[in-house]
Amino acid sequence: MALSGMRGLSVFISDVRNCQNKELERARVDKELANIRTKFKNDKGLTPYEKKKYVWKMLYIFMLGYDVDFGHMEAVSLISAPKYAEKQVGYIVTSSLLNENHDFLRLVINTVRNDIIGRNETFQCLALTMVGNIGGKEFSESLAPDVQKLLISNSCRPLVRKKAALCLLRLYRKNPDVVSVDGWADRMSQLLDEREIGVLTAVMSLLVALVANNPDAYWNCVSKCVRVLERLTRSQDIPQEYTYYGIPSPWLQVKTMRVLQYFPAIDDPNIRRSLFEVLQRVLMGTDAVKNINKNNATHAVLFEALALVMHLDAEKDMMAQCVGLLGKFIAVREPNIRYLGLENMTRMLMVSDVQESIKRHQVQIITSLRDPDISIRRRSLDLLYGMCDVTNAKDIVEELLQYLTTADFAIREELALKAAILAEKFAPDLSWYVDVILQLIEKAGDFVSDDIWYRVVQFVTNNDDLQPYAAAKARDFLDKPAVHETMVKVAGYLLGEYSHLLSRRPGCSPKEVFSIIHDKFATVSTPTKAILLSAYIKILLHSQTVDPELQNHVLAVFRKNETYLDAEVQQRASEYYALSRKGPSMVDVMAEMPKFPERQSALLKKAEDTEVDVADTSATKLRLMQLTSTAVVVADQKPANGVHPALTRVPSGQRNIEAPTVPVANGGQSPAPVDFLAIEAAPTHSAPESSPLVGPGDSLALALMDNQASTVQVSSRSGSMRSAEKTAAFFMKILSFRQADYYFPCYNVLLQIGLKAEWRGNQGRIVLFLGNKHTAPLLSVKAVILPPRHMQLLTSNVPDTIPPRAQVQCPVEVTNLSPSREIPVLDFSYNNSSAMVSFKLRLPVIMSKFLQGATLAPADYIARWKALMGPPNKLLQEVVRGVKPLPLQEMSDLLGSLHVAIAPGYDPNVNNIVGAATYFSENPTLCLIRIETDPADRTQIRLTVGTPDTSVALELKEYIKERLVDIPSGAAPTSLPGMPSPADDLVGPAASLAGLI
Amino acid sequence: MIDAVLVMNTQGKPRLAKFYKSLSPVKQQEIVRKVYTGLSSRAEHFCNFVEADEIFGAGTKLVYKHFATLYFVFVIDSGESELGILDLIQVFVETLDSIFKNVCELDIVFNFNKVNTVLDEIVMGGQVVETNSTEIVKSVQEIFK
Repeated sequence: MALSGMRGLSVFISDVRNCQNKELERARVDKELANIRTKFKNDKGLTPYEKKKYVWKMLYIFMLGYDVDFGHMEAVSLISAPKYAEKQVGYIVTSSLLNENHDFLRLVINTVRNDIIGRNETFQCLALTMVGNIGGKEFSESLAPDVQKLLISNSCRPLVRKKAALCLLRLYRKNPDVVSVDGWADRMSQLLDEREIGVLTAVMSLLVALVANNPDAYWNCVSKCVRVLERLTRSQDIPQEYTYYGIPSPWLQVKTMRVLQYFPAIDDPNIRRSLFEVLQRVLMGTDAVKNINKNNATHAVLFEALALVMHLDAEKDMMAQCVGLLGKFIAVREPNIRYLGLENMTRMLMVSDVQESIKRHQVQIITSLRDPDISIRRRSLDLLYGMCDVTNAKDIVEELLQYLTTADFAIREELALKAAILAEKFAPDLSWYVDVILQLIEKAGDFVSDDIWYRVVQFVTNNDDLQPYAAAKARDFLDKPAVHETMVKVAGYLLGEYSHLLSRRPGCSPKEVFSIIHDKFATVSTPTKAILLSAYIKILLHSQTVDPELQNHVLAVFRKNETYLDAEVQQRASEYYALSRKGPSMVDVMAEMPKFPERQSALLKKAEDTEVDVADTSATKLRLMQLTSTAVVVADQKPANGVHPALTRVPSGQRNIEAPTVPVANGGQSPAPVDFLAIEAAPTHSAPESSPLVGPGDSLALALMDNQASTVQVSSRSGSMRSAEKTAAFFMKILSFRQADYYFPCYNVLLQIGLKAEWRGNQGRIVLFLGNKHTAPLLSVKAVILPPRHMQLLTSNVPDTIPPRAQVQCPVEVTNLSPSREIPVLDFSYNNSSAMVSFKLRLPVIMSKFLQGATLAPADYIARWKALMGPPNKLLQEVVRGVKPLPLQEMSDLLGSLHVAIAPGYDPNVNNIVGAATYFSENPTLCLIRIETDPADRTQIRLTVGTPDTSVALELKEYIKERLVDIPSGAAPTSLPGMPSPADDLVGPAASLAGLI
Repeated sequence: MIDAVLVMNTQGKPRLAKFYKSLSPVKQQEIVRKVYTGLSSRAEHFCNFVEADEIFGAGTKLVYKHFATLYFVFVIDSGESELGILDLIQVFVETLDSIFKNVCELDIVFNFNKVNTVLDEIVMGGQVVETNSTEIVKSVQEIFK
């Protein structure tokens, strides 16, 4: 056994090796680190030998996985040592221990440079190696010319030149400017004439990087590369040491073919002919041999040749030859060749016209899907996925399903997703598709993402013929002993919608269907429970003759869940209870879901987006893909948020037939309906219509709930949470309704306040709706509006008492007299028999209510602008910083929502927004507005407002500034969960209104 | 490009670890551990390639060879030929063999400084610098003369 040549180092290594366990090892290492630290502190006494020894020890400790956070200086300083042995240690240890950004490296740049330009070849090599391994930007700037000189020098030994080539490659990666294209293309071309194989290999690596970045510049190298290949494949002038198991440098052959793959196409017929001759020789002349190393080497060249042939888009014959070869490879036992055969066949799929010949190998590929080696199974899966089309989808997908039960966990998710995508993409008929997905859920439920089953529901809903089939299938699956929760979801949904189509079949009476679903109820999660409740009421109301026993059952379930812990389940249970007691008159409400508008599956869309590189879709990519596709679904939900699945069909006119509970029921908040709604995101029901906040006039009716206080509270709270999340959008909406506003901003357990407003010119009319939801009257009601000075507000009398469950209206007349951003405040108080409650509400009487967009012709606009510029200066200008960064369009929309008419194109600079509006106070004033944005910094703008009346300009400028700097987010409103206490003042409802304005 | 070269024994103890990308020491150790976990479960007759997207980023592979008590592992990206790297591992081992006369794990443990030097003569900055075993031995001997 050869020893390291340093006794101390050997002793330490063997000590560490003798440690029985990790703790002892750590103790030994810590002891050594302490020792080294002390030694380094007394630097003076260290001999070069000792220094070397300790630095080696540090590297050893570092390699074992311990943190070595000192001694870097000592390692680096060895580089500057005059003696060769120390210098070598310094270079090696530094390049392992330090990274390219380490400050100490700067200290040695000069030494390194001196070594590179010096006469000592060994020093040159050491320095080049270190720079090649960790050289950073600074090295790049200061060393590149010297390294280049070494590479092209005639007097340097090959040993130095090949290192210079790779060192230059590193420097080039850090800073592409070190190689100026003009001169270098010729230089590279000359370098390719090199006879020495070692240098040529290094130069070829450099060329790969250069060509990859800029193929056009290095055209002149193509013919040289082909010549190198000819030389190698004909074994001309190859020294014995550069053959590997008889093959002339396989690395150089592979690298050269790699370079050629970076050129988009090779058109020169002569070069092309020579190249194909070479490739043909490789393709023909490779036989499998016994010696595994030789076999590896020949196949390394062969696979690269295949890749190059594919890249060059060769003639049909040659392609067929390649497919033939690959077909042979994927059938061999040797696992490496089989692995690469599968991988390259997947790449081959991108070549046109060969798909058919690849399909002939399907059986063989499927065999590899069952290989014990996961690397091979992955390749096989990728290939099957890539080659699947309508003709073989059934076979391939069924094969994948079969494999799913035995596949290891590492691959199941990918497998399930691929099977689902293929089934959807190439389904010969839809019933088969339904079968596949249901089987998929059965076999690998944990790995089936929600969008997979949403998609099935969409298909079934949109295809009447499919409905009985799918329902019957779902019912069969529920019979199985262990049912996955996803299966319960999809089966529950399908049976709820369509089980009445099966009612004549044995075992499918509503009662039986209900009981088989309800068996699962106790064990499923809350979101699923919510789906099942919807299924129950549908089953009940869809059955032609009401079975009293079933009805009792279902009602009992609803009753029981009215007090369920989760708000969504609780709410559904109580609403369905109320609805189902109405009996058949509610059939319409619970009718089948309408058809979904045709749209592309999120899964498939993603799959198609990545179609281009689907051939090499790796596991990670797919996983990523799946993640984003889920994200897409989540994003889709937003507009539909609040549309209750069971209620989407309620015609808006019917909304107040039965109790105001219906609009309130929209306040679904738990994750359950959110998930569920992903498939319900039917744009037929636009969000504003179904939102209670900006609903039509009738939703202003007071929501009189039944006596169950808990329900009321939950509903109102979830309602307000939703309002929080919608505030941003809602805010825009309120502002944009020039003529009339309706909303329903706040309510607590006892009191509900609604508001309706109309605006014209400088006049406005607000009607406040005050509703008492309590069973006792509200006494001593006082509503006083404190008008700001610029506004005249006429309030009619508010009745002293609001009777139980009644609503009073309180009209307010508003006249705007002068510009101001001040907002009137409503001071409200009442006595609810136990305590006095009072709070303040800010009324939404804001500047933009008195603005009206003004459209001017460009010439007129410019003329007015110029007039404002002249003395007396009426333009107010300010640079506003800290603006919320918005895309230009959004900023322009925001301005538009303040009733400023945007005039696109009036300003020659596309980054500017200009617009005009008339402000109505006592006299109307025309205001011109310009926002100049800085594309480099979206957080700052220059805002200019010009009006003949400076006070208007001032206020308007401030007003717009406020909007831009702080656009209200969802944070503002938190409606009181209980009662507002007198101390609440501007929190609670007041804040909630304030947030809205 | 070769992202890293690792030599570890069948118990997962690192014997040589060289990274050609800047990585924090913590990350380096994590990679060594994950590579070991990935390899230790593989049977002898499996192929020599393991997809390492989760360890080293998309498109990377481990190309490894198992000799007696040691794994020789090269982490590569899609720019390298898998079989070519397998040949290179063979060259690396043959070179060590001629330097240590029948190399065994202990040689590598006690001469890890020399092994580092040998590797530097074969791979530099993630690129193959020399494939000729005789040439490599010559330059290593020159350094240790």
